[in-house]
Parts: sequence; structure tokens; C-alpha cells
Amino acid sequence: MIASPNGSSPTARSSASASTPSTVDAPLLEIRGLKVHFPVKGGIFLRAKASCRAVDGIDLTIHPGETLGLVGESGCGKSTTGKAIVRLVEPTDGEILFQGRNLAEIPRRQLKPVRREIQMIFQDPAESLNSRHTVANILEEPFIIHGIGDAEFRRKKALELLERVGLTAAAADRFPFEFSGGQRQRIGIARAIALEPRLIICDEPVSALDVSIQSQVLNLLLDLQREMGLSYLFIAHDLAVVKHISDRVAVMYLGNIVEIAGADEIYRDPRHPYTRALLSAIPEPDPRRKRKRIVLSGDVPSPINPPPGCPFHTRCPHVQEQCRIQKPALRTTTEGHEVACHFDL
Amino acid sequence: MRLNPLTAKKLRRFRSIRRGYFSFLLLCGLSLISLLGELLVNSRAIVVRYEGKWYFPTYGDIIPGTTFGFDYSYETNYRDLRDRFRQEGGDNWLLMPPIAFNPYENTPYEGVFKPAPPSWLGGPAGHLLGTDTTGRDIFARLFYGFRVAIFFALAFTVLTYLVGITIGCLMGFFGGKVDLFGQRLIEIWSNIPFLYTVIIIFSVIPATFTVPVRIFILLVILVLFSWTGMTYYMRTATYREKARDYTAAAIVLGAGTGRIIFNHILPNTISTIVTFIPFTVAAAITSITALDFLGFGLPPPTPSLGELLKQGTQTLTTAPWIVSSAFAALVFILTLVTFVGEAVREAFDPKKFTTYE
Repeated sequence: MIASPNGSSPTARSSASASTPSTVDAPLLEIRGLKVHFPVKGGIFLRAKASCRAVDGIDLTIHPGETLGLVGESGCGKSTTGKAIVRLVEPTDGEILFQGRNLAEIPRRQLKPVRREIQMIFQDPAESLNSRHTVANILEEPFIIHGIGDAEFRRKKALELLERVGLTAAAADRFPFEFSGGQRQRIGIARAIALEPRLIICDEPVSALDVSIQSQVLNLLLDLQREMGLSYLFIAHDLAVVKHISDRVAVMYLGNIVEIAGADEIYRDPRHPYTRALLSAIPEPDPRRKRKRIVLSGDVPSPINPPPGCPFHTRCPHVQEQCRIQKPALRTTTEGHEVACHFDL
Repeated sequence: MRLNPLTAKKLRRFRSIRRGYFSFLLLCGLSLISLLGELLVNSRAIVVRYEGKWYFPTYGDIIPGTTFGFDYSYETNYRDLRDRFRQEGGDNWLLMPPIAFNPYENTPYEGVFKPAPPSWLGGPAGHLLGTDTTGRDIFARLFYGFRVAIFFALAFTVLTYLVGITIGCLMGFFGGKVDLFGQRLIEIWSNIPFLYTVIIIFSVIPATFTVPVRIFILLVILVLFSWTGMTYYMRTATYREKARDYTAAAIVLGAGTGRIIFNHILPNTISTIVTFIPFTVAAAITSITALDFLGFGLPPPTPSLGELLKQGTQTLTTAPWIVSSAFAALVFILTLVTFVGEAVREAFDPKKFTTYE
């Protein structure tokens, strides 16, 4: 694990942390060749005319206690990947192995026990909390669904959860819209940890929040991870946020993973031209430090009709003939650093 | 359990719209009073004191005339009894309702041509609004006509919404083929001509069916042809709510279909549906009146506004009191309902209270 070099971060991650992932550990979640294709329907019988390749064959592993950052621009399939893991969208192909069970093949009705183990935090807490329910209702619901405890127990648990995420017991009988964005997201987090899951899919959990609130919520996530040994799949487009929270970072482009490396390494030594362009877009607070800004030409191709060969070849500044024909697989360059590019750039 | 502050706000706002709020109170009051109608508009006395005994004839079996010393064994005519007690003077007395007629009785009067004009226009005493062409008291007919219409409309609304919301919600929730074929079936169904169906069905119903059964059949037919409109709103509302993150969160928690629909989607869609209710009630009252006017509505001798309107238009020049009172009553009721509807719509305006940013 790579310690965060970000000195200003209030909870710089320690490499001696108990949650250090190691290659010896069996992975908590292992995704192999995951594809999610959405049919594009047309005609009076709504037959599938084409398919939108939102996720086009990706491999990921998450170890216990680890945070895997998943970054990419909008529409690259990162949220779809998260949703496929919790089966909010149906995977078209591939395996989602969670503690050895393939979630992609379990019938929906039999997923309920697994639901206790994998939870999700959503981007917009105003959307993800039902405004008709009180906070207590929202936090008691997981226990009701899974038939845990009686009314008294659930109420007690709800109050405990509120305290755990830094809200007062007075919040219990209020409604979500009576809170600020950061407080709402805390309620969303409380709901996600209610059943003490092992893995939480964080789908841009801070991007709807004010910058001043973001770090508080991120620190809450880090605290909870330490206390409960959680693993996170942290989906974001804000590279600074991802750097702060992640152990490893995967970069997605057009439904494919183009680079995976330790969080520190990928920022220090990006090897894929897309990652380089992405990182060069991070605003530099120090005006004296001049950095070369890599501006990509053109737009992201449509996932309905992705280009043959390397998905990035239409915009790559180093494109070669081979890139237009052959799709590069992820290959390990150095220990723990994988790049999907034909060349060592 | 605390009332959702948004709901509380909507209710406060509804109360602050005085025209609608008072219309609502008046309508509720009238409906409640009409439930106690037998005590207010009836040919039976409320209480009779006769030979040291108490009688309460309003509810229950008929009391034969012989009980009170008449020479007939059919139901006592309490108006005659009242007159007799007055003449006798003794300790016997009775209390009649303010309007001492029931909506079914034909009261013949010596020397008065039916329909009799209102009492204040020289008609027989007691008939505030006169009688109809068969000699029934118009006030009693209007009063019970209102009761039938308003409760028929409420029952119609409840059933229509139940069917419409259920089917619309199912189409929206399951989507895909259910939605596709459901929509096509609804398109076909809603193109069946309603009036012909009513005429055909009523022509084949045996005459032996009792009046309540016939009213129920009419209610069912009306509901069968009216639920489709609600499905459109519910379908789209369900599609919208289903795609929201709170539904996704419930799915991720492992909530079943029933829980998602009843705990999450329905409470969030109902608030828009509520605003339609008064207008549906108004439409139901209008359509039952129209059907009665055409003669395909409530079976006779059920008191109804439409039937009075029909009589009134036939005797427009000879008995203008029939059509004018029926028309005024109908306008009054529909205006009240529409005022309530406007206020509800205003108070529940989603643009004023957004829960989601």
C-alpha cells in the first residue's frame, strides 16, 4: 500500500494501517471480464437494434479493507460498473466473484443475503433518501427488510448509527430535506453501514457536496473504514478526492480500464496517454509551477459504436497503425502497475 | 409519528385558501347532514308520544296505523296523526322532521293540479319547493338526490383510483412487455363506446334486480370505463420514481417489490394524484346527472338531480320551479366541489414545494 503523500490531508493514510491489502489475501471482490451492454430499442415491438457498450469487459479486484478508486469522465461506465456489482443493472457477461460466489449468476431473489454484505452510497443524498420517511424510518428500514430485531432494537440501532456518523439523536424524527447536503450524505452513509457490510460502492459520494463539506464526509468514510474494516469501490471524477481516499486507482475510458496502479504511483508516474491527459487537467494551485497541459482533441466516441482496436486511438497523441487494429490488454509494467497500451510511453 | 412538514405546509396552505377551505367544510357538513337525512327530511315522525308510550319511527319497521288508533294497518300517516293530535289537544304529541315528506311518496291534494307549486307561491303547505309531476316533494328529492350523487361520486372515485393506480403502477414498475401490451389494451378498451354499453347492459338486466343492485351495476360500469385516464399519470409517475436513487437504495438494501411499491413509490406519487380527486368527484356528479337525464342512470324511483332536470325541461313553462331548483342545486354542488379542487391544486402545487433539488 502506498501512503498518501498529501501532507495537508487531515487523515493521511498510514502504510502501517491494519487494513493494508496484500496480494496474499484472497480478494473480497473479483470482477472478471464484466460487460454491461444496454440494448438500444426501436420499432413497434421494441426489439434491440444495437447495444450501448457501457462496460466492455473489465477486470478488477478489491481486497478486504482496501479502497479502489475508479475514475474517468462522465459516460465512461464507472457508475454502471458499480451498479452492476449490486445488480441495479444486469451484467451482460463476465463474473462478479464476491467471497467466492458469482453474483452475476445468482437469481435476483436469492441475492438478499448478499445485500447485507454489499451496500451503496449514492451521489445525491437528496435523491437517495425518500423524502416521505423520517430519518429513523430510513435507518430502521435495513433491519426491517432483513427481519432483524424488534421495533425497540431498531430504534436503538438507528440512534446509534446517527451518533456514529456524527449526527444527534434529535435528527431521528426529522425528514431528510430538513438537513444540509453534508448531513444528508451522513444519513445515506449511516444507512449503508447499518447492516455492517464488507464492501461499500461509493458512487461519487462527495461530488454533489460543497468543497468544505467534502473532506468531512471523506474523513468519515476513512474513519468508518478503519473501525469496521470496510472495503470501498470509490467512484469519482474528482482526481484530488480519489487520491486522498484510495489505495489503488483504476482509470476507465469508454467502458474499458486503461490503467490501474497504486494511488501514489499513478499520480507520480502515469503511463497511459489518457491518464496523463486526465492528470494534466488537475488545477495547479501554485502559479509558479508550470505544467504541460495535455488537451485531447475531439470527443469521446459513442459507446454504441466504439472504435475498433484501442478504444482511445481516436484521440491518442501517440497513435500508431497497430492501435487501430488491435485492442491492447492490460499488462503489468512494474509490480502493481497495469497499463492497457501497446507501447511503453 | 410526526406529520411530514411538507404535508403540514400543504394543509396549512389549503386552509389559508378560504374559498376552497370553506367550500370543503360546507361540502363535508352537507354530506354528514345528508347521512342523518331521515331525521330531517322524512314522512315519519322523529318521536311520537302516544297513550304514555314513546315511539321512534324514523329507523326500523313500519308502525301500522292501528297502533295509533287509525282504522288502517298500513304505515301510519304521521302528518295526519299530527293534525289529529292537534285537534284532540290531549297529552299525545309528535315531532315531525322540518321537511315532513319522503322522496318517494305521492301526496295528492284536493283541487291542486300536479305538479304543485311551492308553498310560498300558493301551493299546498309544507312543500317548500313544490312537487314534481308525480306529486313528490322536490326538496326531499333534491336532498336525497344530493346524498345519492355525492356518495355515488365518492365510491366511484375510490374505485376508479384503486383500479387506475394499481394498473398504472404495475405498468410503470414492470415496464417492458407489461407496459407495451398494457398500453395497447388500454387504448382498445378506452375506445369502446361507453353509452352504448350502458344501454345494452341495462336492457339485458332482468327487472327483478333490486334498486341497490342496479345502482351497484351502474357504478361498476362507470368505473370500468373511467379508470384508464388515471393509469397514464400513474404510469409515468411510477417510471419517474422508479428511476430515482431512493428506489435504487431500497433495492440495494434488499427490499422486495411490494415494499418498494407501497413504501417508496406510492407515497411519492400520491401527492400529485390527490389534486385530481375533487375534479373526478365533480365529473362523476356531472356524468351521473347526465345519465339520469338521458334515462340510463340511477334506476327509478331513486331520487336524482338528473331525473328532476329531465322532468323540469319537459314542464319548463307549466312548472318552472322544478327545473330552477334542480338546476340551482346542481350548480351549487358543482361549484363547491370545483372550489375545493382549485384550492387543493393550488395548495399541492409541486412548484411551490420541491422536496428534491
